[in-house]
Amino acid sequence: MPLLELKKVKKVYRQGKIEVPALRGVDMVVEEGEFTTIFGPSGSGKTTLLNMIGCLDTPTEGEIHLNGNRISDLSKKDLAMTRRHNIGFIFQSYNLIPVLTAFENVEFAIRLIGRLSEKEMREKVLEMLEEVGLKGKENRKPGELSGGEKQRVAIARALVKKSKIILADEPTANLDSETAQEVIKNMTKMNQELGTTFIFSTHDPQIMEYARRFINLKDGMISSDKRKD
Amino acid sequence: MFSIRLGLKNLSRQKRRNFITIFVIAFSFFGYLFTESIMNGLEEMSFENIRNFETGDIQIAHPDYWEERDELTLKDLISWDDGLREMISQTPGVTGISPELRFSANLNNGIDEMGIIGLGIVPEDYNQVFQTQDFFIEGSMSALGENKAVIGEKLAELMDLKLDDYIILLVRTKEDTFNTIDIEIGGIIRTLNPMMNSRTVLLPLSTVQQSLNVENSVTMISLKTTPMIEENIIQPLEDNFQEKELPIRAYSWRELAANVIALSTTKKSGIGAIMSVVLLIGMVGIVNNIILSGLERTSEIGMMKALGMKEWEIVFVFMIEALGIGVLGGLAGCLLGYIGVRWLVRNGFYIASFGDWSQYGIPIVDRIYGVWNTQAFAYIFMLGVVVAILSSILPAYWAAHKDPVEAIYHR
Repeated sequence: MPLLELKKVKKVYRQGKIEVPALRGVDMVVEEGEFTTIFGPSGSGKTTLLNMIGCLDTPTEGEIHLNGNRISDLSKKDLAMTRRHNIGFIFQSYNLIPVLTAFENVEFAIRLIGRLSEKEMREKVLEMLEEVGLKGKENRKPGELSGGEKQRVAIARALVKKSKIILADEPTANLDSETAQEVIKNMTKMNQELGTTFIFSTHDPQIMEYARRFINLKDGMISSDKRKD
Repeated sequence: MFSIRLGLKNLSRQKRRNFITIFVIAFSFFGYLFTESIMNGLEEMSFENIRNFETGDIQIAHPDYWEERDELTLKDLISWDDGLREMISQTPGVTGISPELRFSANLNNGIDEMGIIGLGIVPEDYNQVFQTQDFFIEGSMSALGENKAVIGEKLAELMDLKLDDYIILLVRTKEDTFNTIDIEIGGIIRTLNPMMNSRTVLLPLSTVQQSLNVENSVTMISLKTTPMIEENIIQPLEDNFQEKELPIRAYSWRELAANVIALSTTKKSGIGAIMSVVLLIGMVGIVNNIILSGLERTSEIGMMKALGMKEWEIVFVFMIEALGIGVLGGLAGCLLGYIGVRWLVRNGFYIASFGDWSQYGIPIVDRIYGVWNTQAFAYIFMLGVVVAILSSILPAYWAAHKDPVEAIYHR
């Protein structure tokens, strides 16, 4: 059973009386542990596709199955619970909470799951921050971290709850090329070590090179889907 | 809980805005507590002044006289003798008995004339019930024993009278014939009760009885009692009157002070209105704060939703923030209120600089002192906190209800 399966997914936005199709029937299957990039020109539907997969939005037509469960027509509450337990997000602008330390920002995600003891939670957060190379910076607030460090906190936050799938929308867009490579290497390392599935969108060919599967999106449709040998 | 920690940590964001909201809440709480203290002081002092200078604790009168007591007629008087004094004094709780003969008169100083209220009293008895003796600025109560009159300072000023001057009181006797009382001023008083200062002339009871041709009669008897429920004294008194078939009744000072009590009822509505305004100010501050926070943190809210937080969990974080603002504002307000009320209780508020309040029925001439009401502190604090929480719900829900996609990509 694939981790993720999209069947003829369509999304149409309405702007007044005008209908704007963002996705025109996407079929896609993602297996566990894949490291996939979705690329394409602006307006090709990358972000919309990631939002559908991430249960942030629902398709106008078609089906989405995550781990065998149909998620395309869940209620808002059930979508929230699916995101909480199965999906991790990494955003272009990090979206960290400025009043919380790096430790607390990561702790925030794991506390929502709430299945672990205080000690276990603390250990997991510290372990994850160490994994992304932020040991010793646990008590720094986002304002005291560089862009790359902030994005690594975001990666740790996405990974700490052992999500089945991590979605990253242009995760390196706000970083210089050196930091961007550092972040993508970090994501690769997590993918290899933990076996977490990553799907990320990017414009940057240098970053794209790190992926093992390449999905090209054009005018809301998949124009090519290639894998690295 | 993490949400509580996050809500409280959010208080450190937008410090200036939060400070302004907390300050506004604190200042409005202070305003309420200060006003409440003044109002209670006003009420307490009004009641004290009425009891200490006008009515005593209980008044005894013929029911018909009582009904028309403002007319100051000489009908339906009480026959005053040792037997009645003995009966009243034996009632448990009665500590002072002062027979009085009230009448209307025109005071003439040889040039001008003005209407006054004459009060025939027995000084020794009067001193047991009222505190006037402590408020002489010239002369003393013993002047009455020398067949002299005592007048208020304001009346003396108005009529250009001094100690040892002679006044003429033009009165109507019981038979409705004119008579005059020609008497020397033996004392000038400045009491805390403006009525006593501006319109009342105290005279020896015997002189008044003789001039009005009402020998051995009085209009009312004022009583001083121990601090106990007045009903517990009034009832035995009335039982005694009925037993002896005396056509008189006992009335609480409250019935004479009806105007001031009406003012007190108005005070309660006034305090309620002030409280509503105070809470409204707090509410507006909190609503404004949460709306602005919701707008500023839109992408953060989107992230929270992406992490799987439910709407009510996000609302809860905002409510904790509002609670923090409410508690800090409430504590600061109570602290300011404590300082203000403490000053008011110790130093008082010079009411005379704001005009003559007696014309509005407030029997106070000098300073109003505040009254401590710890309940008011607890009440406004708790109500403020509850209002802060409640008023945050709608704006917090509005913030949490945003579409996650729009919120995440909001710039």
